[in-house]
Amino acid sequence: MKSHHPDALILMEFSAGNLTEPHALCIRLHLDQCTGCSSRVDTLDSLGAIMMESQPQTDVSSGMFDSILSRIDSEPVGASHQVSIDAKSSRRISPLSKLLGEDLNSLPWKRQLGDVSVLDITDRFPGQKEQVVLQKLAAGGKAPSHTHRGEETTIVLQGAFADHKGVFNQWDFVILNQEDDHKPVAVGCEDCITLSVLSAPVKLTGTFGRMLNPFIR
Amino acid sequence: MTTLDKKPARAEGRKDQWSLLLVKVGKHQDREAYHALFQHFGPQIKYYAMANGMANHAEELVQEVFVSIWRRSCLYDWTKAAASTWIFTIARNQRIDMLRKMKRTSAEMPIETEDLWQIPGEHENEPVTSLHRLMSERRVRDSLKHLPEEQTTVIAKVYMESKSHQMVADELNIPLGTVKSRVRLALNKLKVILQDQNV
Repeated sequence: MKSHHPDALILMEFSAGNLTEPHALCIRLHLDQCTGCSSRVDTLDSLGAIMMESQPQTDVSSGMFDSILSRIDSEPVGASHQVSIDAKSSRRISPLSKLLGEDLNSLPWKRQLGDVSVLDITDRFPGQKEQVVLQKLAAGGKAPSHTHRGEETTIVLQGAFADHKGVFNQWDFVILNQEDDHKPVAVGCEDCITLSVLSAPVKLTGTFGRMLNPFIR
Repeated sequence: MTTLDKKPARAEGRKDQWSLLLVKVGKHQDREAYHALFQHFGPQIKYYAMANGMANHAEELVQEVFVSIWRRSCLYDWTKAAASTWIFTIARNQRIDMLRKMKRTSAEMPIETEDLWQIPGEHENEPVTSLHRLMSERRVRDSLKHLPEEQTTVIAKVYMESKSHQMVADELNIPLGTVKSRVRLALNKLKVILQDQNV
């Protein structure tokens, strides 16, 4: 049961198309599993359409419609139908599988310390500045206590973790910042895997303070 | 849900002339209908591009959006979204795509824009009923008229100028908290915040 949802303000920035790709991915993965948020985004998309309609308009040049028609006419017959079919079948594959393949557990994880493994996937998102990491906390394992220097957007991809704020299950969405000093524990019998987008490195607060560790970074 | 509940919304949905025209384009490749859509939405999309700081590419964006409308019109389902909403999502995605192409050096990303930002009606896993969609479109349209200008201004900057809440705050010279509370008040009235919160 999902109990942690993206805030309506973030959903609006998503609907407006203003989020970076890694952030949009976190939202997309949540939306695909959450009817409530998904329907809020539908409403927000309508809001976007109505905003566009209520703004001033700018005349388009006189020959433009003709050039659009000639572009359409130059396409082979049936092309548009094919485009649609391709679009539909391509959409059936989850963006997560496109990015990481089917099995999250067999990725080239790097063991950090104790129960924590990480995989930096920032290079899958060329041309943007945020760090994107997958983090894995072994079933029943604990991550060291830490706080966050910047903002960390996280979605749970597998399993669940708990901290003082509650239990975060698969597809739960959470944003952590400077005020969140937490000590997550993996709950349930599966390893907990999360996808996080980090706007700044994390600060360790506990005994492991001097070690670098993205579960916590 | 009874059939009786559905009828008025469907009838109302049918009254939307743009959706009817788009259905004609999708079903019969009707060029007159396509031209009418172009005359109505073309100037809106051009303004959208200009407001987004793409003055040099505004006409290119309009063209890309309309070619895309033609190509995928056979997927358009008026029970899933009004034509205006459907076209807005295409314009938004083409804008994102165009910016991506301009920014990208050589590396390609495995995920496409439309894997992240969906066009309504193109997915199998859409649980929301058509009734719900049509109702919410009408509700947004009606309640937007009653919002104070300071709220619509902020929303317009987010949607039309792709500004973050922080950028809007800087531009209007007001605290970030004020921007956020204006948006929250507006989304509350548009019932975005509370709707289906418990699903």
